[in-house]
Amino acid sequence: MTPRKLFTVALVVALAAPPRVLWGADAGRIQFENRQRNSGISFVLDNGTLPDKPMIDGIPGGVALLDYDNDGYLDIFFTNGASLPGLAKEGDKFSNRLYHNNHDGTFTDVTDHAGLRGEGYSVGAAAADYDNDGRTDLYVTGFDRNFLYHNNGDGTFTDVTTKAGVTGVSPTGKKLWGISAAWLDYDNDGKLDLFVVNYLDWSFATSRVCGSPGNRLSCSPTLYKGEPNILYHNNGDGTFTDVSEIMGISGSIGKGMGVAIADYNDDGWMDIFVANDNDRNFLFKNRGGKAFDEMGVESFVAYTDSGLPVSSMGVDFRDWNNDGKPSLIITTLGGEIYPLFRNEGNGFFSYESYKAGIGFRSLKMSGWGAGIQDFDNDGYKDLFTANSHVSENADLDGQQHYRQANAVFRNTHDGIFKDVSGDGGPGMQIRAAHRGCAFGDLNNDGKIDVVVSAIGSPAELLYNTSTGGNHWILIKTVGVKSNRDGIGTRIKVTTASGFVQYNHVTTAGSYASSNDPRVHFGLAVDTVIKEIELKWPSGTLQVLRNVKADQVLTVTEE
Amino acid sequence: MRSAFISLLFAVCATWPAFAGPCTSAEAQLAQVSKALNVNALDIAENTLRSLTVSYPDCPEIVLHQARLAQAKGNIREAAEFYYRYTDTDPDDSRGLAYFGRFFLEQRDYMRADALSAAALDKNQDDPAALALRGQILLMKGQSLEGQKLLEKAVKLDPDDPEAQFQLGTIYDKAKAAAQAVEHFRKAASLNPHDARAWDYLALNLELVGDLDGTEQAYQKGLQVNQAGRYHDAFLDYNYGRFLAKRNDLSSSKRHLDRAVESAPQVRAVWYERAKLDMQMQNYQQARADAEKAAACTQQGGVIDLQIYSLLSQVYARLGDTALAKKYADLTRETPPPVRGEQR
Repeated sequence: MTPRKLFTVALVVALAAPPRVLWGADAGRIQFENRQRNSGISFVLDNGTLPDKPMIDGIPGGVALLDYDNDGYLDIFFTNGASLPGLAKEGDKFSNRLYHNNHDGTFTDVTDHAGLRGEGYSVGAAAADYDNDGRTDLYVTGFDRNFLYHNNGDGTFTDVTTKAGVTGVSPTGKKLWGISAAWLDYDNDGKLDLFVVNYLDWSFATSRVCGSPGNRLSCSPTLYKGEPNILYHNNGDGTFTDVSEIMGISGSIGKGMGVAIADYNDDGWMDIFVANDNDRNFLFKNRGGKAFDEMGVESFVAYTDSGLPVSSMGVDFRDWNNDGKPSLIITTLGGEIYPLFRNEGNGFFSYESYKAGIGFRSLKMSGWGAGIQDFDNDGYKDLFTANSHVSENADLDGQQHYRQANAVFRNTHDGIFKDVSGDGGPGMQIRAAHRGCAFGDLNNDGKIDVVVSAIGSPAELLYNTSTGGNHWILIKTVGVKSNRDGIGTRIKVTTASGFVQYNHVTTAGSYASSNDPRVHFGLAVDTVIKEIELKWPSGTLQVLRNVKADQVLTVTEE
Repeated sequence: MRSAFISLLFAVCATWPAFAGPCTSAEAQLAQVSKALNVNALDIAENTLRSLTVSYPDCPEIVLHQARLAQAKGNIREAAEFYYRYTDTDPDDSRGLAYFGRFFLEQRDYMRADALSAAALDKNQDDPAALALRGQILLMKGQSLEGQKLLEKAVKLDPDDPEAQFQLGTIYDKAKAAAQAVEHFRKAASLNPHDARAWDYLALNLELVGDLDGTEQAYQKGLQVNQAGRYHDAFLDYNYGRFLAKRNDLSSSKRHLDRAVESAPQVRAVWYERAKLDMQMQNYQQARADAEKAAACTQQGGVIDLQIYSLLSQVYARLGDTALAKKYADLTRETPPPVRGEQR
């Protein structure tokens, strides 16, 4: 072969290779460092546990990352439990907490000034600007009370729950046990609606006791009936209407824990996935904003490939293989494995936990918070799970552990995830009773950090210290015709080297938690984005070209 | 006084053959035979028994081991005759009753096995064979704690009894205590490498503790020895096939699941699992055929209706048969999931 022919062959081979190979992403290590100690954050999740280990004490622990004062930095809100069985936030130890980000790695507890101590047994949090006034509001779910806090813009919040009509009480007058909540504009009318996930029909009066005296275990949810979820429609005047029944939500009774939203069938309408504990999962397909069809069974996400339910808890719903189709990860209890459902784009999902390499690895893990995020900025989203068994006495089993280290699985670009937790730095080795976690960039360095709540130990501020020096962009959307936060906007990024990625605006996902609303993309070695395409919920298609990397980019809807 | 003692000693020594039993000085060889039978080393047992029969024609224990040998070789009538002969000769020997009881258990004559196991333990509370059998039978009767206690005592007294180790392993397996189960199945398999069941269970539990290479090796060893007989494991190919599917080795998985449906065609689980694999391999017509066969099986093998409905709804959806897909999707929705244990 002549040198020229050799060159031609080499060129053909190189051009035939996937763009990613040419692009040469730096395979740095995913690392996290817990900087809680010097952060000024002393929050310890208190579940008010009792010797009999009632159902309620295993499930609290939401985290919200929100920029409540619009200073460009994420602040942190933690939900907290209450004394049992009284369900009262007696003293400071049960107070919910809001910490203001001081931009230097420290935070200031502003809970009292903000008026966010809360009442009752709080569980989850969901942050978004529901009234389009440019300020992030906060919804807090709980066992006995849910709250909607309106952001007044001066560092304070006002409880508007009753006026807004989002108390979490069913039409029959029963307060349902709220766990997670999601803000979404299901009818694309420019106003954020609210979906509330409810768990079990449980009370102290009906509470069962499991395990032996002195060694009580959390009872199985199969001992109790499930509860319907609630969809509140935003009326645009500060009030909401419960549309659960007419929209086809309340007919599906589950044991809901986690919720995530995505437009899984690319029809321009946001769909809702609910992770149910020991019951079939729900996929509410949005029928043009007019109603929802529950399609979990038909889409093959109701059960794992065994045709049986698992203890689904946390969930995230994003495109991990850059094909533009949001897929699912769900966390479950030890002895089960974390289901990974790949969206085929034809209405079906395929169960790929083993194929993707997380099957055997997750068998011993019990997970709550979950996220599909690109931690090493290589352009491929990785997985993170906040781990702990539900039962404080789980270790009696010998195979289970109550306190567990969190896990991070690196996307190796070929549909496989590799458990790199062991190499993830000291922040990933902390064994604790982890619960909710939220994802976002705390210090605006372009790397996604994680804040994890843990029962009985300090919350962890896992700053992403991954190596590799890859580039990134954070996109903050400001809706005009669409809801102000731009929630539901689908974003496609094409880099200068032709590599394409997808994500969407949402704060929902994980477990009982609320994420950074800004949309993050890792760009590997690319310093320029050729094209950013935004499909707003209003239907507007907006395209930005030749955008520089390594910035927080605010995009206002045209 | 001293001379009286010497006289007595002399008298005893002079009449010694009259005191000696018919098995005297054969004890070591009998123990060797018993051990060989425990680990299914039938050639050793048979050869030793042959020479013992010549040297000790009146030793009743030889009859007991002849019964066990015949049982191991599948000569049921001959085994029964030997057992009857032995228990007539020595009705108080707990071992005889225990081994005879195990014989009945293998013949699925559970009532007689139950009665003999209880009688054996009555005769001797410290006989490992009696403890192991009774423990196993109590487990089968649902008296798990009592059964476990007896089996634990059995392996303490005779850690080299592979059957007791195996049965104890199954207790931990059921309790999902994989690490402890591995310990006992490993011991059972090392004591009796011919026991395909032990390798199978060992593999299943090694997978649960995360030792995937060990799992693979255990399956391979089990497959090497999986032959018809008392230690045959009809589900070895089934379990290995499932494991291979999890490891994304679909073609090898198919090979083993094909063998599984041949060896246990009456069991729903094997058809179900092959149908799932067919789905993964996008062979939807074959998946339909296998799933429908699974649905028609009366012996569930642990696969419940909900699983079948869910699978059939997927199969028909993939095939584009919307009516049947809807029918099974509706059935999936209407069928409540199983109630698991009270605690977790």
